[in-house]
Amino acid sequence: MRDKLTPKNIIFFAIVGFFPLLMYAVDYISQLLSYRDIFLPTPSGDYILYIVVQIGLYTLLAVGLNIVCGFTGLLDLGYVGFYLVGGYTAGLLMVRLGFSYWMVLPLAVLNGALWGLLRGAPTLRLTGDYFAIVTFGFAELLFRIVKNEIWLIGDINGFVKNIPHVTLFGIKLNQNWHHYYHILILLALVIFVTYRLQHSRVGRAWVAIREDEQAAASMGINVSRYKSLAFAVSAAIGGLGGAFLAPFWSSISARTFEFWESILILCMVILGGKGSIKGSILGAIILGSLSEVLREILSNFPQFSGARYLIFGIILVLLMRYRPEGLIFKKA
Amino acid sequence: MEQFSQQLINALVLGGIYALIAVGYTMVYGIIELINFAHGEIFMLGAYFAFTLVTVFNLPFWLALPISMLLCAGIGMLMDVVAYRPLRNAARLSALITAIGVSIGLQNLARIIWGARQRPFPPESLPTFLRQGIPPTESLPAFSLTETAIALPGGAYLPYRDLFIILLAFVLMIALNRLVSLTKIGKAMRACAQNRVAANLMGINTNRVIVITFAIGSALGAVAGVMVGVREIIEPTMGYYKGVAAFAAAVLGGIGNITGAMLGGLLIGFAEVFGAGYIPYGYGSGYRVAIAYIVMIAVIIIRPSGLFGKSTATRA
Repeated sequence: MRDKLTPKNIIFFAIVGFFPLLMYAVDYISQLLSYRDIFLPTPSGDYILYIVVQIGLYTLLAVGLNIVCGFTGLLDLGYVGFYLVGGYTAGLLMVRLGFSYWMVLPLAVLNGALWGLLRGAPTLRLTGDYFAIVTFGFAELLFRIVKNEIWLIGDINGFVKNIPHVTLFGIKLNQNWHHYYHILILLALVIFVTYRLQHSRVGRAWVAIREDEQAAASMGINVSRYKSLAFAVSAAIGGLGGAFLAPFWSSISARTFEFWESILILCMVILGGKGSIKGSILGAIILGSLSEVLREILSNFPQFSGARYLIFGIILVLLMRYRPEGLIFKKA
Repeated sequence: MEQFSQQLINALVLGGIYALIAVGYTMVYGIIELINFAHGEIFMLGAYFAFTLVTVFNLPFWLALPISMLLCAGIGMLMDVVAYRPLRNAARLSALITAIGVSIGLQNLARIIWGARQRPFPPESLPTFLRQGIPPTESLPAFSLTETAIALPGGAYLPYRDLFIILLAFVLMIALNRLVSLTKIGKAMRACAQNRVAANLMGINTNRVIVITFAIGSALGAVAGVMVGVREIIEPTMGYYKGVAAFAAAVLGGIGNITGAMLGGLLIGFAEVFGAGYIPYGYGSGYRVAIAYIVMIAVIIIRPSGLFGKSTATRA
């Protein structure tokens, strides 16, 4: 990330940095115009900001999933499981035990990593389809557990309600621009860590394992250790996403963590190009915005509520057929 | 005792249905080593096709069942030709991802066409003996017949519907077994499963064999779908839940092994029904679906070749 201070970069960072300001300006202008009886057919800036936060969260998850799917080349169909672990760790500790968000955040990350290792230990030997199926089954089991264990969750269908807002120096972070900077900081952190890992000894070991596990082992790479590390880091990022989600939505339920959510995130990683951080970000932005736009359009046609996922399915099939390496192809 | 025999019947029916679906997974995997994630969706479509034929086109049930089988066979073949054939020589995971894409696509297409509502088969469209009967209030002597069920010794009732499903599944399994072991196409299928390239070199049109495999598996899946529709309920997600359980059955029996899939289906059916019935505190029913997942994960981790499969080092 040795970016130079070119005008293009400065403009880019200015837009990212002051995006909420821009959106609130849009709101302000459209309000001014509406005094003069001119109505802009745009959704409000605050709503766009909310969607951008949502996309930011998906980006975070996609970058996390990319570690297992892209770097080590194992198909993870159960990534949503770690998201779930993070979400419920944060939600339950905050609601039941009154922990503050800043205490819960590292706990959720650690718990995510722990579950990553738990799932990783028995699956170290597996590759290909079997690994995919076990990860899928694992996430489904977690889903069943939060759906059924009422004594643990406190409500049916895994509902955790009234999760308090994040407070920082006594200020409640409940505005959309708060969430925006919040996810931006988390995202920057995650991208930085993943980027540094990718370009370190660890990242090279992961790629070596992806290309040929036996060759990597014979070169002295401790395959189990590096794979476990990949599982743990990836799962920790999923846990982080969940921990952000809980106070952001202020209520979570089992339905938030259905299997299709895993597929959506996987679709983002594959669309952008497996093994490339930039690709994951790009894929998350494209599919995240597409998903929101479709949700908006389809809300007028309740009959077609399934069409969103139909389109993701078609995208997956077409991608595999015509461009299996994704939009940004990075070999190495 | 009464509950036990009732559960036994349920387990046999469910096992037969799982076996019918699992065979579709295992045959495809045996030949092209693809977990056809979309097979569960074929099963779901089978139920919906029969439902539409019966309700919209007013066809009798006996006609709707074979037409639904044919339609599903067609969709299975189409799926292979359009989605999987172009990827035959691509990376293995690409094909799996495609299968997941097809699965999501079909499931949500069904949701758009038929709606997310759960529907039963309208009872008046079914032949009398396939309807759900009201169990008689006073206990009948053993082996006496009512409108919809046979009284068994011990006070349990065996509905004709369940008997029909068990027998049909059994007959179809035998037929499939004969087909694979005795006919020419069965021989070609076995050859392809052993070594596709060599089979091709010996003059077997492998693409044709694969398409036929898809067709047979899909037709059997359709039968299972119609039976579940008759006995339980039709909904767009049925293929997903039952599909995974059937896949677990295929893995349990040793994936690629047809006889194994049949026995695996029965075992999963028994595990699910008796697990749900006898695990205390309501845990069983809540985790009914999870039982299959647990079996599947345990088998993959402990014995990836399944109960009846040849043990290969890594089948991945």
